[in-house]
Amino acid sequence: MTNMNTQNQNGYMLLFRGNDWIKSLSPEEKQKVVDQWMAWFRRLTDQGKAVAGNPLEREGKIVSGKNRVVSDGPFAESKEAIGGYFLLDVASMDEAVAIAQECPGLPYGVRVEVRPVAPECPVASELTREAEFATL
Amino acid sequence: MNTQNQNGYMLLYRSDEWYNRLSQQDLQNLMSENRAWIQKLTEQGKATPGRALERRGAFVSGKNGRFVTDGPFAESKEAIAGYLLVDVETLDEAIAIAQGNPGLAYGGSIEVRPVAEECPLETRARELATEEQLATV
Repeated sequence: MTNMNTQNQNGYMLLFRGNDWIKSLSPEEKQKVVDQWMAWFRRLTDQGKAVAGNPLEREGKIVSGKNRVVSDGPFAESKEAIGGYFLLDVASMDEAVAIAQECPGLPYGVRVEVRPVAPECPVASELTREAEFATL
Repeated sequence: MNTQNQNGYMLLYRSDEWYNRLSQQDLQNLMSENRAWIQKLTEQGKATPGRALERRGAFVSGKNGRFVTDGPFAESKEAIAGYLLVDVETLDEAIAIAQGNPGLAYGGSIEVRPVAEECPLETRARELATEEQLATV
């Protein structure tokens, strides 16, 4: 996690952020973006580059803390809220970013977060690192 | 709030790198608890193996994705650290599963989100089309 590894065997996740932009669109524009988005996902799937993807509902809950408190999240209005995701089977960050740049929501204010999927739980790799230090 | 959902729920784990502050013993314990938690859910057919995300990446924004910027994905308590897809039918069940996550005691939070049947854009477009039709009747 220290240096920017450009190769990754585990793929990448695209997180689509922003749920408020849709309100400003006309019905025709909405339909256009939907069609573009579906065609984009189909093409990536056909090319074997997208292995999964789902939209998320504009609702949900947040569970946090020692006491497992359940609260509402602002999932509908927030610019940061996650509206859906794609899982990509591509080997480099550059490829994943290039795909993110094709997102049809970008002109309307959607932001795409591009994250490498980890080979193992980061807690586990932290432990391996500590164990390595201990044996030095 | 629809409580029934055939498409399952996504648990998004949000946290900073709190595990860097744990002792080796605490980490060891937490990991075995975590493994047991996931194993139980998988055996019950309630979860498919989730993945952790690396603490790096990029944000793409702007027309044609012309802005590409770095995180932060490490320090922020809001950063997505990983996900788990749970195959249960109600939000309550999904919340109960989230509440069983052993890491919650140390920090972070879990976002519980229903997976949508179709893109919400599509739903909205259909609603608007229906409204228009009604208006012209």
